[in-house]
Amino acid sequence: MKKTLIITGATIALLATGVSKLYAHHAFGAEFDPNLPILLKGPVVKVEWINPHTWIHVEVTKKDGTKEVWMVEGGTPNSLLRRGLKRDTLKPGQIVIVDGYQAKDRSTRANGRDVTLPDGQKFFLGSSGTGAPYDKDQGK
Amino acid sequence: MRIPLLLIPALALVIPALALAQSPRTADGHPDFTGTYDITTLTPVLRPASLGDRKALTEDEAKAMAKAMADKMTEANKATDPNRTAPPKGGDGSEGAAGNVGGYNGVWVDYGDQAFKLEGKFRTSIVVDPPNGRMPPFTPEAIKKAMSRGGRDRPNRGDAWWIKENITPGPYDDPELRPMSERCLMAFGQSATTPSLPNYFYNNLKQMVQTKDTVIILNEMIHDARVVRMNAKHDPPEIRRWMGDAVGHWEGEVLVVDSTNFNDQAALYGADRNLHVIEKFSRIDAKTLLYQFTIDDPTVWTKSWGGEMPWAATDGRIFEYACHEGNYSFGNVLRGARLLEAEAMKSMTK
Repeated sequence: MKKTLIITGATIALLATGVSKLYAHHAFGAEFDPNLPILLKGPVVKVEWINPHTWIHVEVTKKDGTKEVWMVEGGTPNSLLRRGLKRDTLKPGQIVIVDGYQAKDRSTRANGRDVTLPDGQKFFLGSSGTGAPYDKDQGK
Repeated sequence: MRIPLLLIPALALVIPALALAQSPRTADGHPDFTGTYDITTLTPVLRPASLGDRKALTEDEAKAMAKAMADKMTEANKATDPNRTAPPKGGDGSEGAAGNVGGYNGVWVDYGDQAFKLEGKFRTSIVVDPPNGRMPPFTPEAIKKAMSRGGRDRPNRGDAWWIKENITPGPYDDPELRPMSERCLMAFGQSATTPSLPNYFYNNLKQMVQTKDTVIILNEMIHDARVVRMNAKHDPPEIRRWMGDAVGHWEGEVLVVDSTNFNDQAALYGADRNLHVIEKFSRIDAKTLLYQFTIDDPTVWTKSWGGEMPWAATDGRIFEYACHEGNYSFGNVLRGARLLEAEAMKSMTK
């Protein structure tokens, strides 16, 4: 009996946590090069809150002192907008740190594998809930 | 005012019935389902085999499931090392859509936070027919077809392996060879097509607009609207549609939608042009619809199958998922393939 419960518990945990790898708008593996890892740090120039993916433009100062702007790919803004995202949630000038991989076309584009503020905090908090009224009382 | 104890059970039945009776109706007297619904849930479409024929979770199991997700999001929301370095060269080992380069962090996702309840019980799966909550077996014909499609996907090593192995056509030779998701077409499997089911990632809102002659069902993911023609006949069989040809009628308080005439690229789990879906929409209460569906495709599955889930009304707005307009990624994918091919050719001619 105990064994059954443990298996069931594992299954339930899997149900809740095993879903994250299933989908994105497209396979990032088709777009980014695993041999070109990047770490970017610099001020936000602008943010395109668009679908299917948000693009955060970040100005990076290279070793020789010249500057270039990188485009960093994020996710859909729809869920964030419902959770209170504002046009200025990421203001121009805000310093961000990005780690990810450069695009296979060698342009200054990368996936925002992790985009954080300078202290490592996320710029917005992910939510597992929608805040919809039904979350607590649906189908009773 | 004190209510006699004996009356409380009776009131418990009467109050929801009154609320249901007061739910909106159209001018011609049918239930009006116009509104936006959020179908985000942790209850999967298909039940894990280990749960057998068990349709419901216990309260403790449902709590454990919700806690596992809450813990996962707490972890995802934690700060990361501001002094971190770039990820490893050669890839970060991530699989699936993240394809060895990772995706993006937990900021963007919206998995849902609990299983849904129907008839007072948390459910183990959306599919309830067959009783094991799982898809019936595929037909030999469907398996053969699926096998013939295999072999195009490889782990992402960042090189043009199709050039080195002389595979023609290569997976990036034609934009139309790319997966539908990259092309902003009917992607996200079961959430963008017919029936309308959750995708367990984000953007799980549905919007219904109802008139006397048509019912529109808009999927937030991936922006397409189905137009259900009421009391109409299906199109002739030569007319095929991505989301099927949907006609509807009322059976008392239930809206029945019958969809046929799919094209060969039906997004639902390998279904083909013979897919036939019957959906039923009815009210559970003033804020919740009951959504039921039956799927039949004799060339793909050995039996019909189906399920049910609540659609909960929400005040949340659907923002247009204008996928084509902002699809910078597709250009990046194709340009990247051309460059990798040129590099592969150069290395082979050295």
